[in-house]
Amino acid sequence: MSGEITRNPNLAWREVDGAMVIISPEDSQVHELNETASLFWKHAEGKTLDELVERISAEYEVARETARVDLEELLAALGEKQLVFVAPEEKG
Amino acid sequence: MHLGKTDVHPVETLDGCVPLHISIGSVPLSLFIRERALREPASRRYREFADRSQNGFPIVLGKTSKQVAESGEFSYLLDDAELVLRSQDAEFHGVRHEYALDSLLRILLTMVLLPQRGFLLHGATVVRDDRAYIFFGRSGAGKSTIASLSPQGSVLTDEISLIRYSNGCWQAHGTPFWGEFRAAGQNRLVPVAGFYLLKQATEERVEILSVKQALRALLPCVLFFASEKSAHETLLRTLLGLIEEIPCHRLYFRRNAEFWKVIAA
Repeated sequence: MSGEITRNPNLAWREVDGAMVIISPEDSQVHELNETASLFWKHAEGKTLDELVERISAEYEVARETARVDLEELLAALGEKQLVFVAPEEKG
Repeated sequence: MHLGKTDVHPVETLDGCVPLHISIGSVPLSLFIRERALREPASRRYREFADRSQNGFPIVLGKTSKQVAESGEFSYLLDDAELVLRSQDAEFHGVRHEYALDSLLRILLTMVLLPQRGFLLHGATVVRDDRAYIFFGRSGAGKSTIASLSPQGSVLTDEISLIRYSNGCWQAHGTPFWGEFRAAGQNRLVPVAGFYLLKQATEERVEILSVKQALRALLPCVLFFASEKSAHETLLRTLLGLIEEIPCHRLYFRRNAEFWKVIAA
């Protein structure tokens, strides 16, 4: 799972007190991200999971595997709500 | 969305139909209602909102539902009635009674007010000392209760509040959109003092909401029918601008007028 991550382009969002408030125009659903997820939302656009693992492990001095597990969990949660998408990994 | 008075010429008649000129939330509207059975109750219902300007945004009522939106139109279907909104005019189709007319007018106003930093909110507006207090919440929260506990003449609406930024401040406008506490309404605007999310309780208490809490409280109570991303972005921007300037609270209250004591405190 290391294709490029993109935010769902249909969503309207604003940062409020350091947290992202996201509205899905299709169903008017409001999502509020916690601090960690908000950071992910801000910095993940256009990156791959591998790139984020490198960055997070370096910046926050955590083991790569720990960062990977946490980021995968976050990515799965946001993906389930269709807030972000992961592009299929290019082969060849 | 065009609603200015500069390049819309006064419309006297449309196929011999004399329009009903009204203004809600300082939005001038000209209703072309051919059917007498609908025109007369509409004239009564909106009598407090009659407008002399006579060059309002034209709304033409047709009998049948169109149900096909063309490019550049906003369309909304509500039961058998439909609103078709364009930049220069609107059509209401399939409106058989004043309540359907009311509903389509509300939807139209949400669209028209949006780019003008305005919106409709499920809330009662009560005026006290020349300032407007907005008591909001979903159905059953106590809006009508608050209105019924307020002095006669002080309630601008018990159901749908109209808020918009004008003349350098946030103002609450009277609306003809009422719930249980049925009244004709008052067509006036009053600067907003504060917003109060209603919570029925066993004691009166008020607590201030953070920006995030206020946004979370207001969003589900805003009447909103657009599905475009840009419209939602505009709404978010409008609400955050409002929250920056106007305090939002949670009001715990019982079914008596004691709540004013904690608001005044």
